[in-house]
Amino acid sequence: MNRITNINFWILFPAIVFVFFLMPLVAVLSSLFGEYSDNWNHLYNFVLFDYLRNSAVLVFGVSVLTLIIGTGTAWLVSNFNFFGKRFFEWALILPLSIPPYILAYTFTGLFDSYGTLNNLVRNIFELEQSYIFFPNIRNIFGAIIVFSFTLYPYIYLVARSAFLNQSRSTLESGRILGLNRFEISFKLAMPMIRPAIIGGLMLVIMETLSDFGAVEHFAIPTFTTGIFRTWYGMGDLLTAMQLSSFLLILVAIFLLIENKSRRNAGFVSDSSTHSPIQIERLNSRYSALAFVFCSIPLLVGFILPTSELIIWAIYYNPSFFDDRFLDAALNTITLAVVAAVLCSMTALLINFSVRINKNKILRLLSSFLSIGYALPGLILAVGIVQTTTFIDSNLLNKSSLALTGSLFGLVLAYIIKSYALSNNTISSGMEKISIGIDNSARVLKSSGWNLLGSIHFPLLKTSFFTSILLVISEVVKELPATLILRPFNFDTLAVSTYIYAAEERMRDAAAPSIAIILVGLIPIIIITRMIRSSRDKGAM
Amino acid sequence: MYFKVNNSIKSLIAICLLFSLSEIIANEVNIYTSRHYDSDDLLYKDFSNATGIKVNIISGKGEALIERLKSEGSNSSADIFLTSDAGNLWKVQKEGLFKSISSEKIMQSVPVNFRGPNNEWIGIAKRARVIFYNPDNVPSKDIEKLSYEDLSQEAWKNRIVVRSSNNIYNQSLVASMISNNGIAATETWAKGFVSNFARKPQGNDRSQIIAVANGEADIAIANSYYFGIMLSGSAGPDQMKAANKVKMLFPNQNNRGTHVNISGAGVLRNSKNPINAEAFLEFLLSSKAQSHIVNNTYEYPVIDTIPPSPVIAHFGTSFVEDKTSASDFGKFNSEAIKLMDRVGWK
Repeated sequence: MNRITNINFWILFPAIVFVFFLMPLVAVLSSLFGEYSDNWNHLYNFVLFDYLRNSAVLVFGVSVLTLIIGTGTAWLVSNFNFFGKRFFEWALILPLSIPPYILAYTFTGLFDSYGTLNNLVRNIFELEQSYIFFPNIRNIFGAIIVFSFTLYPYIYLVARSAFLNQSRSTLESGRILGLNRFEISFKLAMPMIRPAIIGGLMLVIMETLSDFGAVEHFAIPTFTTGIFRTWYGMGDLLTAMQLSSFLLILVAIFLLIENKSRRNAGFVSDSSTHSPIQIERLNSRYSALAFVFCSIPLLVGFILPTSELIIWAIYYNPSFFDDRFLDAALNTITLAVVAAVLCSMTALLINFSVRINKNKILRLLSSFLSIGYALPGLILAVGIVQTTTFIDSNLLNKSSLALTGSLFGLVLAYIIKSYALSNNTISSGMEKISIGIDNSARVLKSSGWNLLGSIHFPLLKTSFFTSILLVISEVVKELPATLILRPFNFDTLAVSTYIYAAEERMRDAAAPSIAIILVGLIPIIIITRMIRSSRDKGAM
Repeated sequence: MYFKVNNSIKSLIAICLLFSLSEIIANEVNIYTSRHYDSDDLLYKDFSNATGIKVNIISGKGEALIERLKSEGSNSSADIFLTSDAGNLWKVQKEGLFKSISSEKIMQSVPVNFRGPNNEWIGIAKRARVIFYNPDNVPSKDIEKLSYEDLSQEAWKNRIVVRSSNNIYNQSLVASMISNNGIAATETWAKGFVSNFARKPQGNDRSQIIAVANGEADIAIANSYYFGIMLSGSAGPDQMKAANKVKMLFPNQNNRGTHVNISGAGVLRNSKNPINAEAFLEFLLSSKAQSHIVNNTYEYPVIDTIPPSPVIAHFGTSFVEDKTSASDFGKFNSEAIKLMDRVGWK
């Protein structure tokens, strides 16, 4: 009897979640069945291909650069000992605390013709005011750099954990077969961690596609800026939502391919016989090279922008920390924690459900939910407002709005926006649990809650908390959906930043930006401690 | 451990719902605003202190706030929509979300071209989209009589900078030209204008002024109040230095006048506090509020009796303003965007 109710729950729960989460996405996608206005002709004739080309170049450039930085640094810190390695191990995640739009703002502050660095060069070499040393960064190459140096940690994180989880026996077999150190890395290690890296890359791509702030700041006509140009400029929200829907469909296709490639390349190593890889010490020349390679992303993605922001914050808007900081920070943290816990639990339950039911449709829907990550925040917000007002006026008290403009809508938006992060982390954690464990548990009559609570959850603890922390760091940075869905007089740190940045007062925006980074650092520091402790345990 | 987490989530959800369900019955006015000035917060405080009416704010992108208003329909708790662009006022008006303002006092203070056709909204401050030049490179007498229209001439090849056409101020400027000159003439003009760009459109209004100060271009188009911010020094010594190198010029002084846009507000049709809302608008037009606005945002006042901020006043206070109705900026915005797409104004 008990067994039957358990089984029902594991089907019922995902079903309910899917209906609920999919409503805002469906609200957006339903635009596809609306009328196709004359503006499509205009888009097709004049701008659409420009948008597509720029987005494709951006995604390609960011993919290549994040792969190089993310896997390169992860490979170095997990396989070798070199000067600064203990520091880089955790410090390389720091750029994750910086939203791309803030890096874009600080880059223009640093590199513009009157920017800090150009002024510095002019002062040092006593050059004329009109002399400009640094190349213009308000172009697609600048955008590729901004996205790559803020998003590579997604690849670094998965690649690093994949490198650490490689079984020594496999690599030793390689050595026995006469492969040298680099051949082992590229012929054996890389293909084994490929599925994990592709998962991380998907996150990078989706975030790049959904971003509006940074590309808008650099005035690059991408698919996303096109969506907003159509909405704001032509006053045509329907066409804007149709464009967003095509973006979602494209991402869904990507995800399907990724899903399939992951299925085909399941490298589940038996964790019981798993022993950690051996770490080699690099000689001084290679050690210096490794140091430089790891310093660059840290310098560009974190040290440079934060130093600039700290200086601005001190000079231009220090009163922010007295007046608004506490309220906004408290709101930000509360929302982030609530959303992160809910999102991670949902992902855990759904992935567990997928696993025990072995249902293909469930699995498909689970990755489908991930596409929310690629949806520009404002369009998601429109979907949410339409959903909550629909529920309010049809299902709840008709004369007032209970859900619309409440924190409920906001938390829902965050969960939909970050489900991909949780799903990615937890599903790859779950793949590492050998199916043999489930079978043994079944023999011992453990199933449902019991199986999840006493066997899977303890094994998944690291993935679960990583998921919570990734979502927190995402929510802390989230801006567009927050702006529109929030209740009266409710500010988050990102909102405070926007309020200045929208009026082009980048220097006043520095104080709240630093606050975002500080708050975002908390989960990142915890992640790094967890990784280190799991590693130290592994080394024992 | 696991279940403990679960319980605390439940209580958090309960708190969230309580937040949203608590119907606040109070003496208040609820404002959706796309103006994000610190100085506006001070205005709200002043208003609350003077009247005892609490001001509640949601600020965000104008278009998205309009979408939220539309979805909320008659249940919306918003009383006022406040924005820094006339195009957005027109959109709300077109959706029928405003009600006509009844206060006589307001009607007497605000000129007709800064009001909705049926007094659905009013301007509360003006900003001019003007020309900046570096007197070292461009002699003042050469450009005294310059019009926006002149900027398409060969003589300006590779000498003009302006920001991206994504920007609403450029869209409103082109919309005003469509309203005055028609689409065909404006398109011909825009083609020539774009071919005179010294660089691909990039950066904000202030970057354009800086480019002129720095000699990267001879002419920039930007909004008057950004110049005020730069001159005031609140954006840093470098920007102040740059601003001091350039001069501001009001174009089209011999014909229809310089393009002027407004910050404005209206009372929403479903307002639950319409009396408080009109009281708030009256307050925004008071001399105290108007001087506060002009001296903090460097916009121009809508009330004649208030002088503009001394920081920008010496460039002229009584310039000829284009009287094109601010509604037209909204009406022709879509045409303006498409036109700019066609001529390759990125």
